[in-house]
Amino acid sequence: MSGPDESTEPPVEPVEQIEPPVETVEQIEPPAEPVEQIEPVVEPVAQVEQPEPGEELDPATGLPQIPWRRLSPRMLLVHPVHSLIRFLPALVVIFLARRSSSDSGGQLVELGATVLVVLVGLLHYFTTRFRIWNGQIELRSGLFVRQRLATPADRVRTVDLTSTPYHRILGLSKVVIGTAASGHGAEKIELNALPTAEARTLRDELIHVRSLAAGAALAATPAPGSPGSPAQPGRGRILDAVLADLTGGTAAGIELVRLDPRWVRYAPLTTAGLLSALTIVGFGSQLIRGMSDQFWSQVVDVGQSAASSLGWLVALVVAVGGLTVVAVLAIAGYLLQFWGFRLTRHAGGTLHVSRGLLTTREVSIEEKRLRGVDIGEHLGLRLVGGARLSAIATGLGRADDSGPRSVLVPPAPRSVVLGVADRILGDATALTGPLIGHPIAARRRRVIRATVFPAVLALGAALWAGFGDLPWWPTWVLVGFAALGAPLGLDRYAGLGHLVTPEHLVTRSGTFGRSRAALERDGIIGWVERETFFQRRAGLVSMVATTAAGAKGYVVHDCSGQQALAVMAEINPALIAQFAGDSAPIEQ
Amino acid sequence: MGQILRSYLRHDRDTGAMRDPANLVSSRARTMWLLLALVQVVVLAGAQVAWWLLDDDGSRVPHVVVAVITGALALTYLAVMPALRYRTHRWEVTDTAVYTQTGWLTRERRIAPISRVQTVDLKRGPVDQLVGLASVTVTTASARGPLAINGLDLATAQSVLDQLTQAAERERGDGT
Repeated sequence: MSGPDESTEPPVEPVEQIEPPVETVEQIEPPAEPVEQIEPVVEPVAQVEQPEPGEELDPATGLPQIPWRRLSPRMLLVHPVHSLIRFLPALVVIFLARRSSSDSGGQLVELGATVLVVLVGLLHYFTTRFRIWNGQIELRSGLFVRQRLATPADRVRTVDLTSTPYHRILGLSKVVIGTAASGHGAEKIELNALPTAEARTLRDELIHVRSLAAGAALAATPAPGSPGSPAQPGRGRILDAVLADLTGGTAAGIELVRLDPRWVRYAPLTTAGLLSALTIVGFGSQLIRGMSDQFWSQVVDVGQSAASSLGWLVALVVAVGGLTVVAVLAIAGYLLQFWGFRLTRHAGGTLHVSRGLLTTREVSIEEKRLRGVDIGEHLGLRLVGGARLSAIATGLGRADDSGPRSVLVPPAPRSVVLGVADRILGDATALTGPLIGHPIAARRRRVIRATVFPAVLALGAALWAGFGDLPWWPTWVLVGFAALGAPLGLDRYAGLGHLVTPEHLVTRSGTFGRSRAALERDGIIGWVERETFFQRRAGLVSMVATTAAGAKGYVVHDCSGQQALAVMAEINPALIAQFAGDSAPIEQ
Repeated sequence: MGQILRSYLRHDRDTGAMRDPANLVSSRARTMWLLLALVQVVVLAGAQVAWWLLDDDGSRVPHVVVAVITGALALTYLAVMPALRYRTHRWEVTDTAVYTQTGWLTRERRIAPISRVQTVDLKRGPVDQLVGLASVTVTTASARGPLAINGLDLATAQSVLDQLTQAAERERGDGT
């Protein structure tokens, strides 16, 4: 059973091909012109929409097929290297085995393994071919395992360009095309690697042009009612973007934000920065453990003598040194991820993010997939007036090793983040307007949970220390946490809130990881309302608006039942109205 | 005391809130829940027995205390939970929406419009088959939004499946 847009698509089928009724390459070109004129674009849209697999089956022969395109020959330099690196552990094992057995035959094995690995890389290059034709993207690869992917070009959701340092030296980019999911993960077409210019052209063909054509088509069709007042806010955004590009923007798009190196000062304050620092420290400690014990016993002796004489000073120096190291590592991680960060908006509303120091990434987020934004203000950032912006969009996939793919603005001053968010959403109330507060009972709950839990643990630790053999410092640490609980709980309550604007649902929560999410009302699929045993006593509920984008569900924590109902009724009145009234008494 | 207990466990709502879904699940669902809970209790008892056998030096007092406490809790759970669940679990399918309510301590209500439904599955686990029940699961495009109606008898489950399929076709027909 299939559903709307980003839901069940006909699964990507291996296509046994079919004569092409139309030549798609020529059709895709004209839409590149219409920055000046809107009307003529209506035709290419119709033509692009036309070819449906199976519908235009023209048995007439003689229609020229579009030639298959190959990957860049420079890839022959890249792929073997990558294959070698991937198989390096296996090669190392073989090498070590040879050394231990001192068998001259092992040399041949090692050479053979290397040659095999290189051959695999070459094979991939020679057997991979792709083309855009008949409204589809076709990919053929593999010799033994033949894989033919054909997916309709208008189901493309993401086109990402990634360039590792190897790729950049050779002027190549890896293209990953993500298509609409069939509910369980998107199909991805990977082209590794194309020359960067060709990769960018391909991306423009697939995303920007289509969005421009769609947006211009919407502009050209007469809207019901007065022209120029679009029926839906979403279309209005596209319209504005198209008009803006007609008047002021360049073909490369309007730049919304660019990294300012001074933003590096926010790096140590983000959780991502801390985590990357801690990971490096973790690896470092592995190294440390590997060193000889004598070395460490000497260090410990020196340390103990220093500690006995200087005590607090040593502890302070160590702490400051540790924090500095963490900060430096976090800054390094920030620069690696966000160097050269640029966010641009292209005609049709597509957002385009490019970033990276060693490995550069270019991510495109289509207007159609964008369902809102999330302003993240972690505790550290909040204290110094910073924030970050993420996109709430469908089909972005998981975070990968180069940072989350939905970043729109890296940790930066709050004013910058709000400015960009306003330009993207156009709904100032949703971004900065006051939120409806939650009942006082929620405050009590937050404070109690933040203090009672560590207090109970502290009591347990105290008992264990008093009657058992636990030292006393865990008790003091837990008492400290319990004391912090009250202000943290109050801060957490102050972070709760929600709001319904004509276009968005705004939710905010959290203290360590606070975020304010503005979710498009159209993107909300359904509702979940939860009430735990303790919430029922306090008269509170938690409500989740489920959606196909971003975190898949945005939670309004600890609001009253009436507030939850008001939100649901305002957004889906017909749905909720049929369930109004009192419950029927339980029979039997 | 009974009044206080009932006020904790009854799901009172202010007037003007959404009402409960209209339909109860099959009464045989209580048997299914009882069986599933028995399995959990047996596993717990097995762990206790293992502890008794392994830790045979030292006094038996902690064992007995823990056994008595867990025994009392387990008996209360087995006696109370199926009936409470049966009162809480409800479902309703209209022309435009699917609405379910589940849970016995934590009450959860889910509502989804039929126009956004992606798949509808009918499943029968081993205990389901033993008791003659089935469950219907409705998924949407959101990973956090599946709705499950457990403990329907087979005929009802089949008719719900048909009703949902037809309603979805209708909604899609209007949607284009």
